[in-house]
Amino acid sequence: MNLLRKSMACLLGAGTAAVMLAGASASLADPYERYRGTTIVVSWPALAHFQAAETLIEEFTEETGIEVEIDALQYLKLRDRQLLEMSKPEGEYDVVSWVVMWKGEYVSKGLLTPLSQFFTSGSLVDPQYDIDDVADAYLQNGGVVGGKKGYMPGKSGALYGIPFGAETSILAYRKDIFEEQGLEPPQTYDELREVMQKLHAAGIPAMTSRGKTGHQVTAGWLLHLAPLGGRIFDDAWNPIINSPEAVEAAQVMREIAQTGPAGIPTFGFGEASAAFLQGDAAMYLDTLKIAAMSRNPNLSKIDGKVGYGQHPVGVRCGSETGGFAVGIPANSQNKEAAFLFIQYITSKAGDQRMVELGGDPVRMSTIENNADNFDEYPVVAAQLPCADPDWRPLIPEWNELNIDVLGQALTEVVTTDKPIQPIMDAANEKARAIMEREGYYAWAKYRSQ
Amino acid sequence: MVNESEDKAAGSVRPRFDPRVFTPYFFILPAVLVIFGGLVYPIFDAFYLSFYDWKIGTPISSAPYTGLAHFKRMLFDEGVLESIWVTLRFGFWTVTIEMLLGVSLALLLEKPIRGASVFRTIFILPLMVSPVVVGLIWRYLFDARIGWINYYLGLVGIEPQVWLGDAELAFFAIVFTDIWQWTPFIFIIIIAGLQALPSEVLEASRIDGANWWQIIFFVKLPMLRSILVIALLMRLIDVFRALEVMYIMTGGGPGRATELLSLHIYNRAFDTQQLGYASAISVLLILLVFGLSFGILVIGNPFKEKSDI
Repeated sequence: MNLLRKSMACLLGAGTAAVMLAGASASLADPYERYRGTTIVVSWPALAHFQAAETLIEEFTEETGIEVEIDALQYLKLRDRQLLEMSKPEGEYDVVSWVVMWKGEYVSKGLLTPLSQFFTSGSLVDPQYDIDDVADAYLQNGGVVGGKKGYMPGKSGALYGIPFGAETSILAYRKDIFEEQGLEPPQTYDELREVMQKLHAAGIPAMTSRGKTGHQVTAGWLLHLAPLGGRIFDDAWNPIINSPEAVEAAQVMREIAQTGPAGIPTFGFGEASAAFLQGDAAMYLDTLKIAAMSRNPNLSKIDGKVGYGQHPVGVRCGSETGGFAVGIPANSQNKEAAFLFIQYITSKAGDQRMVELGGDPVRMSTIENNADNFDEYPVVAAQLPCADPDWRPLIPEWNELNIDVLGQALTEVVTTDKPIQPIMDAANEKARAIMEREGYYAWAKYRSQ
Repeated sequence: MVNESEDKAAGSVRPRFDPRVFTPYFFILPAVLVIFGGLVYPIFDAFYLSFYDWKIGTPISSAPYTGLAHFKRMLFDEGVLESIWVTLRFGFWTVTIEMLLGVSLALLLEKPIRGASVFRTIFILPLMVSPVVVGLIWRYLFDARIGWINYYLGLVGIEPQVWLGDAELAFFAIVFTDIWQWTPFIFIIIIAGLQALPSEVLEASRIDGANWWQIIFFVKLPMLRSILVIALLMRLIDVFRALEVMYIMTGGGPGRATELLSLHIYNRAFDTQQLGYASAISVLLILLVFGLSFGILVIGNPFKEKSDI
C-alpha cells in the first residue's frame, strides 16, 4: 500500500514537474504569450510620424496578441490630458508620448516608471534590442532625466523613455527656386540672412517659421539661439536671454518674419510646415520631419523639388533636440505589456518598418542603412553630432518661461519694429523673478551667508 | 365680531402646522441642489484653491499654502491688467455694435415684408453654429496665406494683411467675429419683444399722428426697455465668459492683444500650470461680472415694475 502511495506520489511529482517544465519552455518560446489578450492604451500626438505608426501597431497586435488603443491628440494638448490621467490612482494610459520639454515635470511629479525596472528582466528584454544603437542625442534628450542640470546627460540621470518621433533640425530648401535665382544653400547664418534678403528682393517668400504667440514663437527663436552662441541660463541659473547672442537671434526672427511668407506671427508648427509644403516659402529650417512630410502627396506639392543641408552655423554648430519619447506612466495597469510595445516599435526591425511607412528613424543603424534611399539621411547623420543637449532648459519651470515670458517678448519682436534689447531686458527680469520664486537661487544665498 | 368668529372658525378647521407649506420648497429643491453643486461649490472651490500653489499631477494635500500672495501678485500683474483692459474694450465694441445692429434689424424686419421670413432665418444661422466651429471658420477666412478675405482683397489690389498676427487687426477680427455670431441673438430677442407689444398702444400713437421715428423712439423702445436691459446683461456676461472663439482664432495673441480675461485664466491654469494663481484671477472675474450685473440691474431693473405680480 505504501509502495503504491509512493509510486503515485512519484508519478504526480513527475507529472507536475513535466507540466511546469512545459510551461516554462512555452513562456521562453514566446515572451508575448502571457500578455496575449491584454489591451494597452497609448496616448500620443496626431502627427504624421505617429499616423504612419498605426500600420506598425496592427502588425504588433497580429504578432503578439496584445491589443492597442490609440488616443491621439493635437501635440500641445497632450500634456493636460496626460497629467490628469497620470495623477489618478489608476490611470487609463499604459504608454504616453511626451514632447521632450515635459520630461522634467513628469519625473519631478513622480508620474513615470523608470525603465530600468524592465531592462533588468530577462524575459522581457529582447537580447537583440541594442539600446546603444539608438541615437545618443535623441535618447539623452527625450528619455534620460536627472543628469547634469536635471535634463542633460550625466551620471545622475536615469532612463524614463525611449525616443520615438525624435528629431533634430536641418535646412530644407527648394532646389528649383535656388537654381532659378542662382543661389547656393546657406551654410552659415551670414549666408542665410543674405539669401533671405535676395529672395525677398526677388519677390519670393524666403523662409517659413513658427511665430505664433507662446510656445511656437519661442521654438522658432531657439532654433537660432544655439548656433549664434546663446543660452537661456548660465551655469548658476541666471537668465541670459538679453545677451548680445540672444538679441541677435531675435533680430534673425524679425528678419525671417519680414522676408518670409505672410502670416508668420500666426504660424504654429502645422501652418509653418504647410507654407513650405504648399510652395509658399523657399526655405524651412526646423525639424527633419519636413522631409517625410514633403514626400507625402496628401500634404505636399513640392515632392522631388526639395534639397537638404545642415542647420547653418553661427559661432558654433548647434541644432535642435526635440520631438517625442515614449514611456510608461507610474499608474499604468499593464506596465510589462506596455514595455513590450515600446520595445517593439523602437527595435531595429520596428525602426526600419517606420522608415518604410513614412516615419522617422531613431537608430543610427537605420539612418546608415537607408542613407542611399533618402536625400536627407546623410544630412541627418552629419547633423546629429551637432544636436545640442542644452538647446533649451527642460526644467519644470520651462513652460512658464517658454509661454508667458519668451512667448510674449518674441511676439513683440516679430510683430513690431521696437528696439529688441529693451524687450529682451524686460523678459530677462521676468525670467529671473520666476527662478527666484521657484527657489533656484536658494543655494547661492545660503553659500553667501 | 363677525370677522373674529370667522377667523376662529377657520382656525379650528385648519391644523396648526400644515406640512403643505413645504411643497414649494420640495419642488425647488432639485434646482437649488443643482445650482449649489454646479455653481456655488465650484466658486467656493476656486476661492479655496486661490490660497494654494497647486499643480496638476501632484496631490492637492501637498500644495503649499500661499495665503494672499496670489491676490497681491494679481494686482500688479501686467498680464492680468492688460487682459482686463482687452476684455473691457472687446465688451464695449461688441455689445454696442450688436445692440445697435440687432435692434435696427429687428425694427426693419418686423413688418410682414416680402421675404422677411427668409431673411430672419439667414440672420439667426450664425447663432446655431458652435463657437468652436465659428472660431475655425473665421480663423481660415482671416488666414494671411490661404484666407478668402486676403484673396478677395488681392483681387481689388489690396496687399495681403496678417489679420490674426497684428495686434490691432487681430482685435478687429475677434470683434467682427463676435458681432457676426451674436447680433442674431439680440435680433431674436428684440423681434420677439416687438411682436408682443400691445397693438392698441401702437394704434393709439398712430391716431395721435406719430410718425415712424416717433413710434420707434417714444413708443416701441421705451416699452422694450426691460427686454433691452436683459439682452444687454446677458451679452455683457457672455463677454466675460467668451473663450472658445479667441482660443481657436488667435490663442490670445499676438502678445496679449486678444487675450480676454477668461482666456488669460485658461492659459495660466493649463499652459503654465499655475492653478492657484489662475483661481485667484477667476475670483476677480466673478467679482467683476457680479459688479457689472449688479450695476446694470440697479440702473434698469427689468423686474422692478413687475414686482407686484
